[in-house]
Amino acid sequence: MKRKEFIKKAGLLAAGGVAAPYILPSGRLFARSNTPLADHVVLVMFAGGVRQQEAVLQRYLDDSQGVNSAGNIMYNLMEGAPPVSKIAYGTTAAGGTAGGQPIPRLLSQTLQQQGTLFREMRAQSAGHYVGLNTLVTGNPGTAQGLKVRPNFPTIFEYLRKHAGYKASDCWFIGNTIGNSTPLLNSSEHETYGLQYGGNFFAAPLTFGSAGRDVLSNAKPYSDEELAPMYAMKNFLDQNFGLNPEQFLSVRNSPEERTRIKEWMRDVYIRLANGQISFPPVNGGGDSFNIGMAAEVLRAFKPKVLVVNMSAVDGCHSNFTGYLQSLHRADHATGWLWDQIQRNIPEMSGKTMMIVAPECGRNLKPNPIQDENDWYAYDHSDANALRVWGLMAGPNVPQNLVVGSEISPSGRLTDIVPTIAHALGIKDEVMNSGLLDPLARSLFDRI
Amino acid sequence: MLSSNKLFYGLGLLLLLFAGACTKNERLSYGLLDQELYEDKTLKTKNKSESEYISILYTNLYQKPISPNELYKTQNVVYSIGDRTLAYEMLLSNYFNQGSVVMPSNSNMRGRLDSFMLDTYKRFYLRYPSEAEKTWFRNYIQANPDASVEMVYTAFAASDEYSFY
Repeated sequence: MKRKEFIKKAGLLAAGGVAAPYILPSGRLFARSNTPLADHVVLVMFAGGVRQQEAVLQRYLDDSQGVNSAGNIMYNLMEGAPPVSKIAYGTTAAGGTAGGQPIPRLLSQTLQQQGTLFREMRAQSAGHYVGLNTLVTGNPGTAQGLKVRPNFPTIFEYLRKHAGYKASDCWFIGNTIGNSTPLLNSSEHETYGLQYGGNFFAAPLTFGSAGRDVLSNAKPYSDEELAPMYAMKNFLDQNFGLNPEQFLSVRNSPEERTRIKEWMRDVYIRLANGQISFPPVNGGGDSFNIGMAAEVLRAFKPKVLVVNMSAVDGCHSNFTGYLQSLHRADHATGWLWDQIQRNIPEMSGKTMMIVAPECGRNLKPNPIQDENDWYAYDHSDANALRVWGLMAGPNVPQNLVVGSEISPSGRLTDIVPTIAHALGIKDEVMNSGLLDPLARSLFDRI
Repeated sequence: MLSSNKLFYGLGLLLLLFAGACTKNERLSYGLLDQELYEDKTLKTKNKSESEYISILYTNLYQKPISPNELYKTQNVVYSIGDRTLAYEMLLSNYFNQGSVVMPSNSNMRGRLDSFMLDTYKRFYLRYPSEAEKTWFRNYIQANPDASVEMVYTAFAASDEYSFY
């Protein structure tokens, strides 16, 4: 080989070696952009519209009904003494006053003590769907329509694309099929989309009476029976040649699908036998959803799980019911944290939990009064943009409060970069150009 | 005199109108031949909605329509699961477990493999299989004793093509 030719070839080889991406054993290209801070992240969308005054400000009835009674009704999440008068936020004991029985505190230490509370964050929308969109996309979603998938990639897509996670590593447990909730597990963004979406269950429906009627009688096929089915299906699918952008839903691999189906069959049986754990005090659909989220955590140990609640939205017409739902949502969230720490050893001490509402509620009430003659609240004004956020887990500073009424800190669009930061893909997400330009990891606001 | 002329011209015009309206019926006939119309997979570009998929599948398997209540409930449950293929596989498994699906026996399938595959393609895809498809299925089913009618039907019903029309 002539010297000139040798130098040319050697140069090209060296350049190719530098430019070519490194393929890691996980199948990922390139290394993570930062050291992961946690192995798993659970995001509780404390949704339905939580008024700052009854939550982090702990004003109870003081700032809403002109009744002199303040106190903390979310004492698993936040520090603060509960109200001592006009107790209506609890459960109803037989023969007792409606709501007069507060639920005993579950956690020995509040999540605030175990982590960092952002007292005064800003929501980017006063609406539910756009608010939920913001929580999973990190984008304010100003042009987001209803009944369509998010315009911008979700955290599931970022994680699957940049961290190489499987579909069964990423879960969204929704509490309904209404309000476009099933669309939040993936965007239709051209460079991300359903091929990177997360798994989704609307648990009260999938595992409620309708789900049991329709799906619980499924045959337990053996692997030998299923192998030819998947071989034939693969042949048929290859012949049809669907492009990823034509996918109609999220896709698990055949192995993941088989595992999920077996788990579903098992869940139906255990539900029928009363063997599934739920938060001790039943809070309706929200409690059921949180209970099923814990089941998913136990079975799949996902890298990220997002679960939502929404019972507090009853505040549009029933303030007493809203207080009770808020109290139950605190109870359910505390229970979920406790389950992770005590009953899921693979995730205990390695899981970060983030809790935040999708929007707040108004400063002034609407004219609707409930059985206590207390006024109801909608969500449409500037007060509805006042929210809070809480995170706890490995590498989260403990017993720290960030921000105040006069010095807000944090935006709901921060949640996605925070999860990305926790799981080691912060730079990929921050540099995607698809986030709110003001969004930052909450770790960077401490 | 003037009015009788007007009457005369008016009647004449009326007669002309009637005369113009009377035309002879033309008897047309076209040289059409009976045709069997089938889908082409390249033209299947629209995806079936959950309700379309479920009602078509149910009718296909049971040879009778699904009730509106059952359809509504099933559609909601399918929509509550993010991986649609997974939901459909669970649904199919439930249907097959009920035991009243109209389908040939395994021995019948193996005894007339070519016509079984032809029927299956027409039943699920509304089209004929290509020679390559026929050959692949013939070889695969012959080589795999575990390939049952139930699994063939499940593979077709859970395939991508069945979700499009």
